Amino acid sequence: MWRRLASMVKKEFRQLLRDWPILFILVWAFSGAIYVAGHAVRIEVSDYPVVVYDLSRSAASRDLVARIRAPHFKVVGLVDSDRSLVHALDAGEASLAVVIPPDFERLVAEGAGRFQIIADGTITQSSIMATSYVAQIAARMNLELFQARLDLTARDLERLPQIDVRQRVAFNPNVENAWFTSLLEMLNMATMVSTLLTAAAMVREKVYGTLEQLLVSPLRPMELFVAKILPTVVIVVVLSFLSLFGVVQGVFHTPIRGNLLLFYGVMAVYVFSVSSLGLLIAVFARNLAQAMMMLFLILMPMMFLSGAFTPPESMSPWMSYASLISPMRYFMDFGYQVLFKGNGFTYVWHDILGIGALGLAMFGLSMWGFRRLYR
Amino acid sequence: MLERSRAIVRKETRELLRDPVYLGMAFIVPVVLLLLFGYGLSLDVKHLPVVFIDHDRSPYSRDYIDGFIHSEYFDFIGLAEDAAQADHWLRSGRARVIVDIPPDFARRLTGNRPVAVGVTVDGSFPTRANVIIAYVTAVSTQYNQRLLSEYADRLGAGGGLAQPLTMDLAVWYNPSLESNNMVVPGMIVLILMLFPAILGALVVVREKEAGTIFNLYVSPAARWEIVLGKALPYIAVAFLDYLIIYAMSIWLFQVRFVGSFWVLSAGALLYSACTIGIGVMFSVLMRTQLAAMLITFLTTMTPAFNYSGFISPVASMDAVGQFIAHLIPATYFMGMVRGVYLKGLGFDFFWSDLLALAAYTVVVYGLAWLFLRKRIG
Repeated sequence: MWRRLASMVKKEFRQLLRDWPILFILVWAFSGAIYVAGHAVRIEVSDYPVVVYDLSRSAASRDLVARIRAPHFKVVGLVDSDRSLVHALDAGEASLAVVIPPDFERLVAEGAGRFQIIADGTITQSSIMATSYVAQIAARMNLELFQARLDLTARDLERLPQIDVRQRVAFNPNVENAWFTSLLEMLNMATMVSTLLTAAAMVREKVYGTLEQLLVSPLRPMELFVAKILPTVVIVVVLSFLSLFGVVQGVFHTPIRGNLLLFYGVMAVYVFSVSSLGLLIAVFARNLAQAMMMLFLILMPMMFLSGAFTPPESMSPWMSYASLISPMRYFMDFGYQVLFKGNGFTYVWHDILGIGALGLAMFGLSMWGFRRLYR
Repeated sequence: MLERSRAIVRKETRELLRDPVYLGMAFIVPVVLLLLFGYGLSLDVKHLPVVFIDHDRSPYSRDYIDGFIHSEYFDFIGLAEDAAQADHWLRSGRARVIVDIPPDFARRLTGNRPVAVGVTVDGSFPTRANVIIAYVTAVSTQYNQRLLSEYADRLGAGGGLAQPLTMDLAVWYNPSLESNNMVVPGMIVLILMLFPAILGALVVVREKEAGTIFNLYVSPAARWEIVLGKALPYIAVAFLDYLIIYAMSIWLFQVRFVGSFWVLSAGALLYSACTIGIGVMFSVLMRTQLAAMLITFLTTMTPAFNYSGFISPVASMDAVGQFIAHLIPATYFMGMVRGVYLKGLGFDFFWSDLLALAAYTVVVYGLAWLFLRKRIG
């Protein structure tokens, strides 16, 4: 058995390593593509583009405008007519407009000041966040005006009955987005590449008619399947090692706190799991084009339910149930817990169980399908 | 002359129709994706599990905690006995935020003194962490505002005193801040990026692998006739995809649509031609279907998702980000789609976007034409 398996594995490796365009693309997938994704901003508000329409042109209005600044905001222009305000929002040059009425200063002095912000609602979450930041700015200014009105000194202000929120962000003190996104992209790539490579290796045999040759050889289906999965596991684990240290840590300085042996051990199990999914698809697809479409049909929902778009706790009930059959959900949880939080086995054993069980189920299912079709 | 292109179109169409599984998938997969994202994808971060360490246990601290419990953004999961327990919950993911209320909370507030509340947020998902901080601040600000006006009342100062400044909020283009108004039109851009490109990526390379490409090499058809003949049926498929998705967005998801269908369709047609062209270009360049597929996926999906302006405005990106954004066709079409759906803008607003898309299209087909060699080796 081992000799048959070894020669088949050798053949698979040769086929893969000979295909240098694929190797080149794979290296890019685990380096450049991860850099591109890690560099992107997500939905939090930073440098949010703002236009100001200041009809008051007073000390009070300048004070307000001066507070709308980095890191959350970037004033991209001052407008002096309704038309140019509308144009700036229409064209997407700005996503927020601050309108300060002519009698702003007088009304503020009387304790009844108002100003308006107009938010572009097309990107909903960003506009909710941006408006809440402006509300905070207004609240802070209120407090200072209150102080000025009562003629309190700065020391008195510190002695008002107020809650002072001292926030600390655990595991990522500066809320570096790239720490998350680069790691996410690596896990996404591992998933996509594993399924695609394995499915392609299997479908190819079908299309070229060499599957029949393998079937009449002494090779058993089990051995064939293992031989198809093994090269994928090796190459994906090696590549993700490079990208973890080359890009995720090397470029973005993401701290890696966990036990690497645990991570790569489970990663190998995970690649086995999703490769089995690739095999399952390959058993039913007639050609690569079909296989790819089926893959998308399964991979996209999987990525989508992984918890990286919508945090698991914010998912609707049907979503969180559906996510239970996605190996990716367990792997995301596992990956972030181990690499990021430095959690050990006691925290993640259930994730490992989920990944392993789903992997075995898919492997078994593809074996069963294969036997039914070819025996 | 066009006849030869037509013959290739006929052949490609027939091939497509003879693989109903593949053709069916080309329609079903986008529809499924749209259903999934339309019904499921909410980027709203809600139901955040919060744990409190209440060292004070006074009416004041309970009042403050109530502010969290009554907010739709937080789910109260319990009071922790001590910091170690709370920390364990944060590590395991049972809680995402810890609010630590000191023992002298009520005593300080009633004594007109400030009090520090410790908030620890799980930073493993930065977007969520930022949202949590914003929500915690909002709840605390509200509480503070109340404390302040009570304080002002005690001082005997008038009502307006505690709040001399009010912010009025108007939301344009999507007044109800409905998440689907953002997600569904955005998905049109992403779906029409990915699927046409992938479909196009197989058209030439498939014949290379099967060996039938030689039929084309020896045929009298010129290179541009081959490229055109191969692309046209798929542009039709992509445009049909667009029509289906458009219909779903209006009738199923009830997305706000204030612009012109014709403007949108013109853009969609050009965009489909462009994304099919990207696929065809890679199809000409690569030797295996797998390689063509992989490179197409890598160069279209991740950049389009992250840089097209789908989840964050292009204007808020840094120089590198804006550069990447303007390098991909999805950015131009994203501006058009949101502009037509939500802002009701017309052609005069989009001519530069359309021009960019047209230029892009010319370039990708030009490259495909250039690299399609009717020679062996």
